[in-house]
Amino acid sequence: MSTVIKAEKVNAGYGRFHIIFDVDVEVKKGEILVVVGPNGSGKSTLLKTMFGLTRIYSGRILFEGRDITREPPHVRAKRGIAYLPQTGNIFAELSVRENLKMACYGLEQSIAEERIREVLEFFPFLKYKLSNKAKTLSGGQRQLLAMAMALVRRPKLLMFDEPTAGLAPKAAKEVVEKILWLREDLGKTIIWVEQNAKLALEKGDNALLMVSGRVAYHGSARELLADRELGRRYLGVKG
Amino acid sequence: MPILPGLTYTLSSLAYAAAIGLLSMGLTLTYLTTKIPNFAHATIGMIGSVVMLILIDRIFYDSNSWLIFLLGPIAGGAAAAAFGVLMYRAILKPLADRGNSVIGLMIATLAVDIILLNILTLILNLMPGEHIPKLIGANVVGFQPKIRVAGIVVDSYTIVLPITALVLTTLFHLFLTRTSFGVAMRATIENPDLASAMGVNVSLVYTVSWALSGFLAGAAGALMAFAFKGVDPAVSALVIVTVFAGSIVGGLTSVYWGLIGGIVVGLAEKLGTTIINNLYRTLLVPGLGLPNISLVNYEKVMSLGLVIMVLLYAPQGLAGVDWGRILRKIKSVKGGR
Amino acid sequence: MVNWWIFSDSFLITVLAYIVVSISLNLEAGFTGVPNFGKHLFVFLGAFAAQGIGVRIAAWLYQALSPEAARQALAEAGRLVPGAHWASIVEAAADTGANRIIVNNYLRPFVTENLVVEVALLAIVLGVTILLAMVFGLLASYAALRLREEYLAILLLSFSELMVMVIFYQTESLNGGNKGLWAITFTKNPIRFALAGSAVLAALAFLYAERLANSPMGRAMRAVRDDEIAASVFGRDIASIRLKAIIAASVLAALAGFFYTQNNASATAITFNRVVWTFLPWAMIILGGMANNMGAVVGTIVFLIGKRLFEYYQEPIGELLHIQAELVGSMLPNILIGVLILVILYVRPQGIIPEHISKTVEFNKLAGEVLGEESAEKDAKHPQET
Repeated sequence: MSTVIKAEKVNAGYGRFHIIFDVDVEVKKGEILVVVGPNGSGKSTLLKTMFGLTRIYSGRILFEGRDITREPPHVRAKRGIAYLPQTGNIFAELSVRENLKMACYGLEQSIAEERIREVLEFFPFLKYKLSNKAKTLSGGQRQLLAMAMALVRRPKLLMFDEPTAGLAPKAAKEVVEKILWLREDLGKTIIWVEQNAKLALEKGDNALLMVSGRVAYHGSARELLADRELGRRYLGVKG
Repeated sequence: MPILPGLTYTLSSLAYAAAIGLLSMGLTLTYLTTKIPNFAHATIGMIGSVVMLILIDRIFYDSNSWLIFLLGPIAGGAAAAAFGVLMYRAILKPLADRGNSVIGLMIATLAVDIILLNILTLILNLMPGEHIPKLIGANVVGFQPKIRVAGIVVDSYTIVLPITALVLTTLFHLFLTRTSFGVAMRATIENPDLASAMGVNVSLVYTVSWALSGFLAGAAGALMAFAFKGVDPAVSALVIVTVFAGSIVGGLTSVYWGLIGGIVVGLAEKLGTTIINNLYRTLLVPGLGLPNISLVNYEKVMSLGLVIMVLLYAPQGLAGVDWGRILRKIKSVKGGR
Repeated sequence: MVNWWIFSDSFLITVLAYIVVSISLNLEAGFTGVPNFGKHLFVFLGAFAAQGIGVRIAAWLYQALSPEAARQALAEAGRLVPGAHWASIVEAAADTGANRIIVNNYLRPFVTENLVVEVALLAIVLGVTILLAMVFGLLASYAALRLREEYLAILLLSFSELMVMVIFYQTESLNGGNKGLWAITFTKNPIRFALAGSAVLAALAFLYAERLANSPMGRAMRAVRDDEIAASVFGRDIASIRLKAIIAASVLAALAGFFYTQNNASATAITFNRVVWTFLPWAMIILGGMANNMGAVVGTIVFLIGKRLFEYYQEPIGELLHIQAELVGSMLPNILIGVLILVILYVRPQGIIPEHISKTVEFNKLAGEVLGEESAEKDAKHPQET
């Protein structure tokens, strides 16, 4: 399998706040990489770094073999990276239709319409909400709308930052199912930062355990789940 | 003395309110996009008045043509829009990029206000009038087409201004909802980071918002030239207070509420003050022996009072009021009877 | 060569008054982050105490102490009605028709010839000035504690503009309205009095502001300005700090207005407009450097000397540019001042003398670094923002 995104000895942070240290990570095509770790361990910062929202002090990031370390976010978005932050990932004051249109911003009218029709087939409930303001959607529905907006651009890699945070169990389950479906049916590559480590590790292929801004484990998700020592120390997994 | 004001006064009050509404809407727009309260906004509107005055002097001095109501706002609006773009791109954006705070930028708008006001006054002072002998302070009330409403000759601008406000607001609404750039503008107001991640040129959106805001101000200003007893840019010093009052009453969170806030404050200043004055002089002066003075000079107190009430009781402005709940309450009261 | 007489007593008094107002504005804007865009109202309060209120109190005292002379004053002013009592002279003294004669011919001699009366009246007028300033300062702080920066600036500007332009300018019975009133002046040489008074006031204002800036309270004030969370970490009572700063600043501004009016011996509301007493002081503290008392003083002096020189040379400049002198007199200087402010904001947002780190405690430096980091973090998060 070919490598989609790869970080080599990346050091990054905000201004002079150095947050992640010498991070090496590699994600192969069609893989779900689950990123877990205690609060403040640099999980979200890692995603932002991949999307170009932090300052990278050293190291490099390769996307499909191309060095994108210095590229700004909108260029990375064009290359096929979608980043879904935990909050603020949709326009609450805009209608669902307008949100989808914004996702197609800059695309040709006919292509945009076709893409929107396409993602509406994936997320049929949105068809009935097109004229509603996005802020009237439930938390889970908002995450799905954000996913739909990302899919309109046909990204190769989707990066989710705690997509289930604050959702009711049923809604969280729905979001997780959709993430799995993205990989199964559409063959997308996914990086998934998750607080609920057990849930994500059961579903993911590979796992990255971050502790204090460094990689503590990079390998099979199931093995990490089975590793009682790491699980107890960092993830609150009983056993 | 009748309590309710007469037809001509009511019409001119409506026109004034419509103009303040357009100005408050534009002020709210640039505040929402670039987060800068623009103290030069009313003076930008005066560009429209000056353009209108020059148009009358050079072209429309004897025609009494309705065309002036089309050409004036468009030309005045375009000139003001150009100034708005210049002000943002050449002054405010560079200052913001240099790290100035909101307060620094507000000072900058005050500085622009002083510069623009004096330039406009200089232009009117120095430019020789072709048909109007002295442009500064010239009264153009007589240069509008004659119109009768209910048998009374009224200033036609008082009819045209509310219609213009309606048309411009409708066009603006269509722009914001039906064009992808308009939707992008709303998206940028809400979340500039996400909008730029979707490929929106945020800087261009901001520039266009200054152009639109300028156009609305210039168009309103062009028609308001007929309302002033003499066109003098210095009146903007007091107009800006009313415009800010309208925006604050609206809540500074939505352009539509900015429009409504401006209309409310404009009506309160004109109709509200007159009605209160009439009530005072017909009821309280003879009844309680209060001093027989005219209250109409204190119209700005109305806008101040409204602002204070809003700040005390509805800090989010009219936009933040839960209208649905109030409607339900009213309904339940009615139902209870 | 410049004739040095252009820097006259009256110019010096103007400079001193502006120094006090700049220091006071700096207390609010530079240290606590209260953007007072309505400074002109507070300066006018001092003028109002000397004219609208001062002449009334003086007239009342005059009637009480020498009723015969008061009758004569009323007679000369053409306001003598049978059975004249104190109300009529109080009314006449503040009436634009009779004000000039009564104040200039009777009240001023009355006040300056009796030391007890003079001291008592001065105490009363200064007391009124301070009281008025405190009342309006309280009103302003009520808003300041509840509103966001920009909102507050808009409100203070609108409020002051309305008070000065509507209440004071349009209400003739209050303070002469658009005609203005002659004010009560003190000592036989009111200009010397104004000079001495404003010099003492400026010195006191500077010392007070310096002491405040280097005190624990001053540091807390800057913390309030930079970050309310940082301030609450200190455990300081933000509300009371802001309240004190605003009230102190209001009193200083009003006292400056009082001494300034002593020099002119009269005051009209419209001359206390937002350009002259709000925008110019802002221009001066921006020129000098925000949150820096020395900067405020230097900025004020540099600004006013420049302005004076320009006024002095405006005729030759006008001839050079082929513009009528009267246009140069009012409009070109205003345009130049506006341009100057924009240039300063662009070239040196921190002013001539940047904010210096408080000498007493290392904490500020530390806090500065942490806050700097945070803003850098914001930049990093929003590289798209333009």
